[in-house]
Amino acid sequence: MSGQPKTQMVPAGHAGRGASLLVAALASAFGVVLLQVTSVLATVISGDDVAGIGAVKSALTMVAVLFITIAVYVSSIVTTNTVATIIAGRTRTIALMRLIGSSARDQRRAVAKEGLAVGAVGAVLGAVAGTLLMAGGLQIAVATGVIPDLRYSLLEPLLVLPVAIVVISTWGAAWTGSRRVLTVSPMQAVGAAQELSLEEAIRRPARNVIAVVLIIAGVLFLAGGVIVGQVSEYGVLLGLVGGLLSFSGLVLGSHLIMPPILRLVGRGLGTNTPVMLAAANSQQHPERSSRATIGLVIGVTLITMFAVAGATFEKMMELAMEDPSVRAAISEMVGISLAVISVLVGFSALIAAVGMVNNLALSVLQRSREIGLLRALGFTGRQVRAMIMAESLQMSVAAVGLGLALGILYGWAAAQSLFGSVAGGGLVAPAVPWLLVVLCLAGTLVLAVGATLVPARRAVSVSPVTALAAA
Amino acid sequence: METTPATPGLAARVTALTKTYGSATTAVTALDDVSIGIRRGQFTAIMGPSGSGKSTLMHIMAGLDTASSGQAWLGDTEISGLGDADLTVLRRRRVGFIFQAFNLVPTLDIRGNILLPFALDGRRPSSTETGWIEQLIDSLGLVDRLTHRPHELSGGQQQRVAIARALATRPELVFADEPTGNLDSRSGREVLALLKAASTGYGQSIAMVTHDPIAASYADRILFLADGRLVEDRERSSAEEISRIMLGMEQRA
Ligand SMILES: Nc1ncnc2c1ncn2[C@@H]1O[C@H](COP(=O)(O)OP(=O)(O)OP(=O)(O)O)[C@@H](O)[C@H]1O
Ligand SMILES: [Mg+2]
Repeated sequence: MSGQPKTQMVPAGHAGRGASLLVAALASAFGVVLLQVTSVLATVISGDDVAGIGAVKSALTMVAVLFITIAVYVSSIVTTNTVATIIAGRTRTIALMRLIGSSARDQRRAVAKEGLAVGAVGAVLGAVAGTLLMAGGLQIAVATGVIPDLRYSLLEPLLVLPVAIVVISTWGAAWTGSRRVLTVSPMQAVGAAQELSLEEAIRRPARNVIAVVLIIAGVLFLAGGVIVGQVSEYGVLLGLVGGLLSFSGLVLGSHLIMPPILRLVGRGLGTNTPVMLAAANSQQHPERSSRATIGLVIGVTLITMFAVAGATFEKMMELAMEDPSVRAAISEMVGISLAVISVLVGFSALIAAVGMVNNLALSVLQRSREIGLLRALGFTGRQVRAMIMAESLQMSVAAVGLGLALGILYGWAAAQSLFGSVAGGGLVAPAVPWLLVVLCLAGTLVLAVGATLVPARRAVSVSPVTALAAA
Repeated sequence: METTPATPGLAARVTALTKTYGSATTAVTALDDVSIGIRRGQFTAIMGPSGSGKSTLMHIMAGLDTASSGQAWLGDTEISGLGDADLTVLRRRRVGFIFQAFNLVPTLDIRGNILLPFALDGRRPSSTETGWIEQLIDSLGLVDRLTHRPHELSGGQQQRVAIARALATRPELVFADEPTGNLDSRSGREVLALLKAASTGYGQSIAMVTHDPIAASYADRILFLADGRLVEDRERSSAEEISRIMLGMEQRA
């Protein structure tokens, strides 16, 4: 094996590399900037008290690390899914390589190696871009007098941490995403039949069982947290466990949960042929459509969760507190915290959106023969565009809808389990900040339309003759 | 040729058709001044060696591709001047297609694939059309396959679905490009017999591109292309005769 030329193994394509690079760069830039902001804030807060910097900084760093973890988690999911989508689309090529004697493990190793390279380049680029952005921002902030002119240090050893985490997680994500390579049999190159989607052939009962168990256990813990929260703020610990368990279950079982939701949304979009074909496509590829959407579900869930928790907390306090000035103070504090948290989590949602857009683009690219056939049979360019738009809308609406629902549930459970006893017991209905809902819906629309611009142009320009000729 | 009862009208024709690919220096002439008429109600085979321009001719006649010069008509409609939108509607309503492979939309089941031309046109089949489709499904032996997906069918079964789809709207002309190219000889013969039956049974006009002399022997008429030109025009012939003509063409080349 060792003597074989490595050029034989090219399972990952150019199409997804750009997106993976962008995701790695975004995550790394986010991590670096967040740590730098933390350091600047610590310097500002502690002022001249040099001894105090350490304590403030370590507290802020803890918070920063939490949000970096979320961003890295989301970007890992996005990268894993991008790699898996590319591999699913290249089943035939991989099978051909296997047929002529390349081993599956070699093929997979090549994918992971590429992941490592993409992760390293992306992380470094992101770190440099982030630092430049931060340096510029700092100059402006000092010049305009927003913050005092102190001795800020932007470059510190800690910055290596996010960069390293992004490199390792991209590498790991490529490795995980490429496990399907192992299931490609050389026979798949021989079959003259339509491409059988690789994922459909795989049933994973163990994974399904684990997902269901996690969700049930998580919901029980959440309920326990809410009940215990009536008498003690330690209810939140139960709630936290419940949230982590159930959410992990949801992510693991997304291929069971997303398809029915997508179907529901698809029905709502109408019954004309482009919509029907779009719906059929996401139905027949449950793995792919849930992969494309789960990152966005996570992002929206987190944003909504914090917002609903804050608003519900505010409402509980309003019921419990008599003094209007205390109420106003609480309200202001909640407002500021939520704004900061939304921006921090919003960044993860952005990374997830990159993943979804890329997934749609890849899916169109991989279906050019099918689109060519439809064009030959009399599908107009406009109908092709409508089909892709319907698919994009379906995914965005499903992801944001589920995210909102989950976020409201989690946010309410968090507020109840943490503050239920403080507010004097009793359950309040979840308070939903409607501005957030409107913003999410607007964002969904922009995302859904924006995601289709490039793929739709490419799809419409597919010539039926060339698409059908390409073997 | 136009109006005598013995010669039926033309389902499609091309005059002085030329198609070149590439720039002036690297130009490939795929079709060189071709004039052909496809007779209504007949099963016509288009034969010729690889690269002789068969697929190119079919694509232009079907409104999938445009010619460099010359005219193409489908029935009484000149299609050489039509834009993409008009050609799209024309393909949808007036012609049927059977390709060598990848004929079916993988995400739709068999019934969905057969009904696709109606769906693309945004309508449901009328009750007469439904009756016709049921009859097609029955005669093509697809009754208990309707809810399957394409990849669950053999290559021959997939081609039969493509035939059902192509015949479902009773188009003016069905184009088939190597419809048996991917099939073993038995399934290939079945497919050819079905096409032949559609032509003799109810006068479906069919134009079929093929390499295979046996496939061409099912046709009422055989047109031979070589180097982008029409070189022979034969009435129904046996596979042996067709082979001889092909062999002669290859030796001359
Ligand atoms: N898109 C294209 N660009 C350049 N040349 C082309 C293109 N399509 C076809 N040709 C050339 O035009 C000629 C005719 O091609 P065509 O596909 O019509 O042949 P064919 O008779 O169908 O061959 P086969 O039996 O192998 O399918 C060939 O020389 C081919 O190389
Ligand atoms: Mg051809």
